[in-house]
Amino acid sequence: MRTKRLKVLAVSVLLGLLASACAAPPPAAAPAQPAAPAADQTFTVGMVIVGPMNDKGWNEAHVEGTKYVMEKMPNVKFEYVDKVNPGDRPNVKGSQVADELIAKGAKVVIFNSDDFKDDALETAKKHPNIVVIHASGDYAWKEGKNYKNQPNLGNLMSKMEPGWMIAGCASALGSENGKIGTVGPLINEETRRYASAAYLGARYCWENYKKRDPKELQFKITWIGFWFNIPGVTLDPTKVADDFYNGGFDVVMSAIDTPEVAVQGKKAAEAGKAVKYHHYDYKGGCELAPDICLGVHYYNWGPGYLDIIKRAMEGTYTGTWTWAQADWKDLNNPDTSAFGYIKGKALGAENEKFLDQFIKGLGDGSIDLWKGPLNFQDGSVFLKDGEKATDQQIWYLPQLLEGMEGPSK
Amino acid sequence: MLYRVGAFVISLVLIGLVVVLSGASPITVIGRMLSGAFGTADQIGRVVATLSPLLLCAAGLVYTFNAGLYNLGVEGQITFGAIAATLVLRLLHPEGASASLAPPPLTIALAIVAGGIGGVLWGLLAGALHVYGRISEIFAGLGLNFAATGIAIYLIFGPWKRPGVASLSGTQPFDESLWLGTFGQTEATPVALILGLIALAITIVVMRNTYFGLRLRAVGKNLRASYVLGVPARRQLLSAFFICGLFAGVAGALQVVGVFHRLIPNISSNLGFLGLLVVMLVNFDPRWILPVAFFFSALNIGSLQLPLSLGLESSLSGVIQGLLVLFALIGRGLAQRYGRKLEH
Amino acid sequence: MKVELRHIHKHFGAVHANNDVSLTVEAGTIHGLLGENGAGKSTLVKILSGFITRDSGEVVLDGRTAHIQSPADALRYGIGMLHQDPLDFPPLTAIENFMAGSLAMRAILNPRAAERTFRALCAQFNFDIDPQARVSDLTVGERQQLEIVRLLANGVGTLILDEPTTGISASQKTLLFEALRKLAGEGKSIIFVSHKLEDVEELCDCVTVMRRGQVVGELDLRADGLRQTEGKWPRDQHFSIAARIVEMMFGKELAMPVKPPTHQDEVILSVEGLVLRSDRLEMRIEHLAVQRGEVIGVAGLEGSGQQLFLMACAGLERPAAGTIRLADRDLTHKPYRDFLQAGVCYVPADRLRDGLISGLTIQEHVALRTSNRRLFINRAAATAEAERAIATFNIRGRPDTLVERLSGGNQQRTQLALMPSPLNVLLMEHPTRGLDIESTLWVWQQLIARCKQGTAIVFASSDLDEIVQYSDRVMVFSGGRVSPPIAASELTADSLGQMIGGRF
Repeated sequence: MRTKRLKVLAVSVLLGLLASACAAPPPAAAPAQPAAPAADQTFTVGMVIVGPMNDKGWNEAHVEGTKYVMEKMPNVKFEYVDKVNPGDRPNVKGSQVADELIAKGAKVVIFNSDDFKDDALETAKKHPNIVVIHASGDYAWKEGKNYKNQPNLGNLMSKMEPGWMIAGCASALGSENGKIGTVGPLINEETRRYASAAYLGARYCWENYKKRDPKELQFKITWIGFWFNIPGVTLDPTKVADDFYNGGFDVVMSAIDTPEVAVQGKKAAEAGKAVKYHHYDYKGGCELAPDICLGVHYYNWGPGYLDIIKRAMEGTYTGTWTWAQADWKDLNNPDTSAFGYIKGKALGAENEKFLDQFIKGLGDGSIDLWKGPLNFQDGSVFLKDGEKATDQQIWYLPQLLEGMEGPSK
Repeated sequence: MLYRVGAFVISLVLIGLVVVLSGASPITVIGRMLSGAFGTADQIGRVVATLSPLLLCAAGLVYTFNAGLYNLGVEGQITFGAIAATLVLRLLHPEGASASLAPPPLTIALAIVAGGIGGVLWGLLAGALHVYGRISEIFAGLGLNFAATGIAIYLIFGPWKRPGVASLSGTQPFDESLWLGTFGQTEATPVALILGLIALAITIVVMRNTYFGLRLRAVGKNLRASYVLGVPARRQLLSAFFICGLFAGVAGALQVVGVFHRLIPNISSNLGFLGLLVVMLVNFDPRWILPVAFFFSALNIGSLQLPLSLGLESSLSGVIQGLLVLFALIGRGLAQRYGRKLEH
Repeated sequence: MKVELRHIHKHFGAVHANNDVSLTVEAGTIHGLLGENGAGKSTLVKILSGFITRDSGEVVLDGRTAHIQSPADALRYGIGMLHQDPLDFPPLTAIENFMAGSLAMRAILNPRAAERTFRALCAQFNFDIDPQARVSDLTVGERQQLEIVRLLANGVGTLILDEPTTGISASQKTLLFEALRKLAGEGKSIIFVSHKLEDVEELCDCVTVMRRGQVVGELDLRADGLRQTEGKWPRDQHFSIAARIVEMMFGKELAMPVKPPTHQDEVILSVEGLVLRSDRLEMRIEHLAVQRGEVIGVAGLEGSGQQLFLMACAGLERPAAGTIRLADRDLTHKPYRDFLQAGVCYVPADRLRDGLISGLTIQEHVALRTSNRRLFINRAAATAEAERAIATFNIRGRPDTLVERLSGGNQQRTQLALMPSPLNVLLMEHPTRGLDIESTLWVWQQLIARCKQGTAIVFASSDLDEIVQYSDRVMVFSGGRVSPPIAASELTADSLGQMIGGRF
């Protein structure tokens, strides 16, 4: 009997604690919420972020984009939840987070990863009055394979393929032995076309600027299984990068969200290895190890988000698929270009000239690498001689290209 | 009991301290977490959706704990149940097929049954390693957890990957006809809740009113004396693993058909570990599971508010949970060590 | 150093572990302290060495009162104790242990000097310990030697050894005894705690015997002129000493048999060529046939294999060889389940460890025993049955009383209440240990009633009165040997003492 009574006591203590917590008025010191009058003017945008907000990569680039929007439109407020993935938050789905954000007043919800495509669709269906933006993805692409007629669901993606070509070119220019390794995330259409674009850029520059035989070029990609390291679940990108550096690859490209390639490259260089790396995603990527950085191609989400949010505020946004282009006149213009490119110190003056030449060619259309003859990895024909790839062919690239090493699916 | 309550109070004080140190007011935190758990129908639905598998796991763990076993392998039993359920769904509704080979309700039912079988398999494996291999059930369970996750990852990354995609974010979602129905637009599924409550009710009856439950408790309290008194100890231990595996496997299947609608690497959502905590906190007495499990489901769901509205690192909720576990264990230890002396 | 303990009292709860114990150990002697388990000898030496504080009484060392509150105090007075499990630090090396246990708390260790001392001491006693060996790699005997050397380096004048010959080899034992004699020769006093008669006889100058917390006798092995040559004992004298010690341990007069004849002609339990092995013991029982209704008492110093034998008969221990038959059924190597079905019941000595389940109530125990193929417990019926058992067996408790809350006597009554019926063979350890006289009589009433119904009882007890009073025949276990059963009526205190001492 005694234990029973004590148990009752314990539970009532607990409930009492909770009840008193509810009843008590919030203390004055509690962080003040935005003043009430501004509330009807404040436009809340929710963002569901797959990885850590400060990852010096993909996720931080999105956060930078939101800062740009807030600068241009001071009455827009962002609410973020980061690390929305089953490793970091085991019992949380993207759609649940979106529900929470909407409950907190978000009128627009942005999902920032390809992995959220099902969650984005679910959210859009459940909340027809909310604009749902899936950064990457193709559900709103009428001409695409996976079109879902969901008017409040849109896609935004920077057309980064030329950026990857520039990255590939810089890597080839920076490599002495032609062994280029890539630490890739998971395999899907996006990563296949990016890797292929990088390879095309590398092969072009290796052949045309370095005047070397394309057969000497070894372009290898290792997929870790996710956008970033999940211990025990993915391959460890630190180890994958080390394996490249120790395996004679003198240039390693990062295609993941996090900076392991740069960090391990720095260690390898300090240990006396002649290695260089190429970063991805984040503008400040070369600052991690400036002396061995060949360059970085980064996303500039600001203008794209600004445009969508403006239209959403006006109530004129309907779900569209946006493949945002670079501004070839001024690649690093924060207001106009969907991606930018920053050359690294390790590239060298002579190679910089070649790279500028290459960028110019891509910009004016004189260099088009999505052009036949091109074969797939298994030897089958992708593009016949002279044939140009359509957007669909590029977006839905089913395989890596001939000459690349690494699994296609 | 005194020690347990004391430990619980100390853990609450420490949690408050941690919250203050991380720059927030404990009262605000509790308030936000409460409103985050019960503020909207969606949130209540999610609490219920978390509660259902948690009830199943906790009910299962009552058997193993009462038999004196620390079945840390419950996570793996959930995972393997989920794998088995996914297998059945894929067999009955092959990828790309427009309809399943069996009516959807039957398909779902079979998937849940398969989940139970998968969990039993994994539970008995741990049991066999413990009973016949004389390996501590803790290590056997942890090892099998790794194995189950490994198999799930292999399947998701290999044979069951989405067409053209190799991502650890999960398999292709199942056709909507194979999703368990929900309460309105929420994520709570009546079937899961009912299964959870049934499992709990059965457990309460078995532990209180059956010879099986009595023998289980006898074995758990004194294996040797039970054996001398004629209780078939091995059979009791294996039965405990069997039932716990069954319930955990069903929970895994429900995670697939009711929550995620696909297989993901962390399909268990760590609910097995949460179940361990719940059962330890109620001192293995199933009658108290429902309120405590409900409390932890609410904590689990409400903790999403920490980053959302308070800008706090959400791992704080992990700290909160961790402190509760730690002190629950310390309280148990103290109660066992000194409680008896006090009673005399 | 001369050690005098005067009027020592020590209570543990209700147990009077030391009741007015006085003991004098002269300098330069080896003093044996003998007694059954629980006689109070360990408590006494722990008081002397500071591990336990006494309730009252006085410790006098060389005529001066000593104030010992902790092991460190004792060591400062020159009293060192060698525990059954040496108190050392297994991950360290021998020499590190030697230094770590040093009384002088110098800030700076001098390993070289320490090693010199260590080697010198070892050489003195022919101990061969590598100073750099890890203690975890040493044998129990070597760890003991290390402890002795360490204590000597701290200048002890009195050395206490608790069961030192358990788990060491014969050659290590010889070495140990030589060392102890040498130390006694140097004027140190040695207290040798044991329940092994042979060791005491071989080594000790004086013997003090304790029973139930009190000193029940002393024997000066030198003064009685018993010792003729060093370490050599004529066979007859050996047994007369053993008999005298056993007599002190168990009492002079044996009670008279009180048991009415209950045995029937039919043989219910028979054992042939049984060989039992444990890590300490190996024994052989050539032939034993127990009749229905018969009571066999098993006597001997504790730990002589009685438990092993009872457990083998119960099916809880696998014999290395031989057969066990129950009536016409061969049960050798059959599972315990089959023994239970054949009507064999084992009632262990350690009730709360082996017999009853702490945390369960009397009613639940009753239900556990009666559970059959039914699924649900009929609570009302179970309560009624428990109440019946409580009434029949006169248990002071309610159906919902947890067994660990019961007194020892009521726990024993509960164990008896759980005995199945019908019962062919009952195997019991210490049926009345810890019970008051009334309960003891009552328990035997119940047991004899069972015998009348045809149950055969084999029981072990350290109470020789109980053995003689209630047995039809008696078997004596001594150091791995087992006597053939002898009719209880033919036993005398002397003959039983001699048998326990090993002569049969």
